[in-house]
Formats: sequence, structure tokens, C-alpha cells
Amino acid sequence: MTDSLTLPHPAMASGVPSSVPPGPGLPRLLPDAGTVPVDLRAHLATHGPLRAAGGGDGLLREVAAAGLTGRGGAAFPVARKLATAAEVRPAPVVAGNGAEGEPASSKDRSLLWLSPHLVLDGLQLAAGAVGSRSAVLYVPRNERLHIRLAGAIAERAAAGMDAASVELVTAPDRFLAGEESALVSRLAGRPALPAYRPVRGLPRLAPGRAALVQNVETLAHLALIGRYGAAWFREAGTEAEPGTMLATLHLADGRTSVTEVPLGTSLAGLLGLDGGPGLAGTGAAVTEGPLGTSLAGLLGLDGGPGPAEAGAAGPGVPSAFGPVQAVLVGGYHGAWLPAAAAAALPLANAALRPLGAAVGAGVLAALPADRCGLAETARVARYLALESAGQCGPCFNGLPRIAAAMAHLAGPRPDPRARADLERWAGLVTGRGACHHPDGSVRFIRSALRVFAAETGLHEQGRCSGTDPRPFLPVPATSPATEEDWS
Amino acid sequence: MTGITSSTALWYASRATGVVTLLLLTAVVLLGILVNRQGRLPGLPGFAVTGLHRNVSLLAVAFLAIHVVTAIADPYVTIGLAAAVLPFASAYKPIWLGLGAISLDLVAALILTSLARARMSRRAWRAIHWLGYAAWPLAVVHSIGSSADARSGLVLGVLVACVLATVAALAWRLSQAAREIPRAGRAAAALNRMSARKAGLR
Repeated sequence: MTDSLTLPHPAMASGVPSSVPPGPGLPRLLPDAGTVPVDLRAHLATHGPLRAAGGGDGLLREVAAAGLTGRGGAAFPVARKLATAAEVRPAPVVAGNGAEGEPASSKDRSLLWLSPHLVLDGLQLAAGAVGSRSAVLYVPRNERLHIRLAGAIAERAAAGMDAASVELVTAPDRFLAGEESALVSRLAGRPALPAYRPVRGLPRLAPGRAALVQNVETLAHLALIGRYGAAWFREAGTEAEPGTMLATLHLADGRTSVTEVPLGTSLAGLLGLDGGPGLAGTGAAVTEGPLGTSLAGLLGLDGGPGPAEAGAAGPGVPSAFGPVQAVLVGGYHGAWLPAAAAAALPLANAALRPLGAAVGAGVLAALPADRCGLAETARVARYLALESAGQCGPCFNGLPRIAAAMAHLAGPRPDPRARADLERWAGLVTGRGACHHPDGSVRFIRSALRVFAAETGLHEQGRCSGTDPRPFLPVPATSPATEEDWS
Repeated sequence: MTGITSSTALWYASRATGVVTLLLLTAVVLLGILVNRQGRLPGLPGFAVTGLHRNVSLLAVAFLAIHVVTAIADPYVTIGLAAAVLPFASAYKPIWLGLGAISLDLVAALILTSLARARMSRRAWRAIHWLGYAAWPLAVVHSIGSSADARSGLVLGVLVACVLATVAALAWRLSQAAREIPRAGRAAAALNRMSARKAGLR
């Protein structure tokens, strides 16, 4: 690996400092104020110039020691991906993935908006570690974000900070646009559709042109590990799952917030299920609605335990933001958990995986007790079905069928056979797509059948515990229908 | 046609499994065409047709294996193991058995690539899967040429039925391909179909 780096990369030039400076406390990635984006001068004042701990392949060792995993959802060890990429010649294109197609997640765009230079630092470090001089930042189609990032890239280029050139590429507004092979397809100038790809090795834009794809939050963590080292990184989080992660919280009162939390933080503390104030992260940033709109003031609204449930039909768990009946963990490819079960769990895969859930990209939604979980699931299931890329039969035939049955179940007096049909069809689509869209969608729907089993019984009797018909989980209104929507 | 004795059992077994294999391979081709065009079977969700296509093809392989093994083991004519897999290596009816051997090799390629599908590029898998359109007619010609049974009576009827069904399915496939839904609209089209059928139950 050492001799593959024939030229000393400028990003590595500063080498390891004689004594590693003390790293920042929490929050690490987002500015303390949570509202004001960090410009280049403030970024350098806080963190100093880009450093790669150990220099050369020392960074790979440092990342391995830190135990950093991908923050895009799959939690793949970053050191292994970097090591694979470092062996590839010609050097791969390094892509920072900020597409964030998941409608319930806004952590990547918040990070790009508030701390763009940490992401750009990480992109340079990753490029340096694999000997590449070509990088891409893949971001949602948003004019304000685009202008800001283009400005940041130009400012760094003018200052001669960056060895690898960075190109901004916009992601189509689709759920699967950030899927790794879809991103690579987009970089190659084709529609951003998931593709079959070999199990081993890096995805390829073209023969002899591989791509190293890392989530933008992963890159920001990488930038900090380069400066402050593995031991500092491990000061937060658990032994098995070290560090912090950005989480998008959908609180029971309808507010959305992005916060940075150490892995292993209790879900109860985050969602206010423990009688505490909630948002037990570092309270770094709270955003809602359009990109960059700050709602930091909302942090002050943490006035202890929420109101006791009045007239709520579900067995809700009281939270600081109102009674909660269930928690969606990991977004729309994640799983529902009963609120009481979720309240006892930490935000860590070691605890969530045995229950069929995973941290994913850090989406947590506390469903209020006065909403119908089946109706919420049916809305999302319909959205997921429409987001099928239309390439694999089990996906574009199976998911609409499952979504239709889910809508039937959410309606009055469903056919009692509908549940068994759903389970059977769910089994038939699992593992049958080029990408994991059918698997993830089915995981989400199956968890709803488990967690909202009592609600299904109510519906069969012609009743429903939901008293508030307003949608809770965010689902984009438009459903695209042409091939151009993918590019 | 003197009855089944210990000396003719293998001969009969080979011929019988040959006929069954041809029937199954025809079913596999029909189902494959149905899968390719997202066609439906009564009582089955569209995506279960794919499962049927796979399972029937594995069943066909089992019968094909018995057909080949019994033909080799049968002492009445000498067909070596090599002649079963190498085209035109047989001393007995080299042309007709040779076509069967090619068909066998193609089927083996189809099955192996499908089992390893997750590990190969979709394009390569598809290209090899097109060989199905060569394997099936070779098997038909092999049947007619190597067996006198297939030129009259019930077996001829089965053969003709298989050929007619496949030709009809091919014609249907070509007509379907002419009016294909673009992929971006497929899920929405399916969802509309489901909603129109009142939640699509059963």
C-alpha cells in the first residue's frame, strides 16, 4: 500500500504533528450555535489546516483503529473500503455521497449546509489516501446549497488548499438516487438507476475507471480523525460502534430536528420517552422545513415530561413531546418498534439488529399515539412502490401489490386474509432485486404488521385508534413518471 | 415394442424421461417468455411466475440427468459419457445424439449461469440466457431424429403440441415487446392496476 503512493500527496504533506491537539468535544460535526454555517476562515480557526494523522498509509491505520463505519446506512468499515480503493490502479474517482434520497432524513444536507469544509476536507483526505486527484461531490438538486458548495470549492481552490479537483454533481430527487451503483451510473453520464454489480471490489464508471463512494458524513468524520486521531474519535460512542452520528429526529409533536449523538445513546433520551427533556444528543442543530432554516430556539422547548395522553386509544408511552405508540428506526428501509421496546434501547446496531432494526442513516420517528400506524405505513409503502426503478420484476410488480394490500389493511374492515397475503408476497420479493430496495421496503412493511397487529384487529372490526388524520411521516407529494426524472 | 423386461428397462426409462424432459423444457421456455414480458398466470401474482420458471427448469434438469444417465447405462446401444456431452462423438446416430449433446451443454450453461447470477454482470447473464432459444429447438430436432417413436402416434402429438405452443408464445412475445411500458412508469402502472382491482387481493 505504501509504494502505491508514489507521489507525496499535498494533503499528506503536513504529516503527523509532534503532539496531537485536543479534539473538539460534542458536537463534533455541526457548529455549536447550530444555525450559522461555518465558513472557511471559521473552519480553519477551529480545526487548523487539513492533516492526515500518520501521513501516507498511516491514515488507513488510524481510520482502522478508530473503527469508523459508513454513515450512509450500511455501516461498512471505512478502513476496508479505503484499503481496497488504495490497491486499485488507475486510482478511483472519490465521490462524496450527499444525495440523501430518504425523505425522512435531512442530516446530510444539514451537514453540507452548516459544515461544508469538513466534508470537503474528508474528500481530499480520502482522495489522498487512495492516490486520486479526482473527486466528486454528489448533492441534492437545491440551488442555494449548490451555490454555497460551489463557492466553498472555488474558495479552497483559489487558496491552493486542495490537491484533488472537486466537481459538483446533482442527484435527481429520487429515493434510490444515492444508492451506490445509481450514483456511479450518474457519474458515468447515465440515468441514476441502481445496477447489478459484482459482489467484490469497487463499482466502476467504465472499464478501468472505479469509484470510491463514501457518505458525506463519513467524510466529515474522516477529516476529524485525520486531525485528532483514533483515540479521540473513540472518546464518544461504544467500544463496538465508536464515534458520533448525525440523527434526524421526528418528534411526537410533529417537529423535525437534526442532532449529533454518540452511538449507544438511549433512544428514550433522544425521543423524550424517559421523562427527560428529549433531544439527548449534543443539541447541536435543530432544523426543520427548507434547507438551513434554523429552529435552534426549539431546543428551549424541552419542558420536562409531556402531557399525559388524553383520549389516545393506543397504549402510548408518554414523551416530552406527547404520547408515543411506536418508533420507526432507520428510515423507510428500517423497522418499526413498539415505543416501550424502543425506550429501552440504545442507538447501536448491536442492540437493534436482534430486533430486526438497524441504525441505518440515523432516522428516528416517534409516532404519536393518536395516529394510525397502518395508515402511515400504507402511505410510505405507496411512495416506496412508486420509487421502484422499474428494472426488476419482483420490485415493480411486487411492491405495488404489497402497497395496495397495505392500503387495503389501513382502510375499514379489511379482508382477514390480507395479512397472510402480505406476508407471502413479502417473502416472494425479498432478495430479488438488483439493489436492496425490495428488501428494505419489505422489512419496513413486515415490521408494521408485527408492531401494529392489534390495530389490524381493530380495523377488521371496523374501528381505528387513529384520531388525527394528518400525515406524520414525510412523503414527497409528486411521483415522477418519466425517464428524465432519473437524470 | 415388447414389454418392459430387465434388459429393456433402461431403454424405456431413457425414452420416457426424454419425452418428459422435452415437455418440461417447453414449459420452461413458455414460462421464460412469460417472465420476460411480465405476463401473468391465473391465480398467481406476477412475480411468482419467475419462481415457477426457475423451479420447473430445475425439475427439467433432473429428468434430463436421468435421460442421459439411463441412455449411457443402457447396454442395448453403446453411448459413452463423452458422447453425451461432446457433440457428434457418438458412433450411434452421431448427428441426432450430437444435437442432443449440444442442447445438454447449452442447458448446463443456462443453469450454471443462473445459479451464479448474483456473481456476474446482468448483461453477461442475459446474453447467455438467450441461448435458451437455441437449446430448445435442438432438443426438438434431437427427439425427432433419434427416436422412431416421435415420428408417429402419441409422442408425435406431444411434439407437435410443444412446437405449436412455443411458436404461439414467441409470436405473443414479439407483439408484447412492441408495446412496452418505459421503466420509469412501470411501478405506477402496476399500482394503478392494483388499485383498479380493489386492493388486488387474490
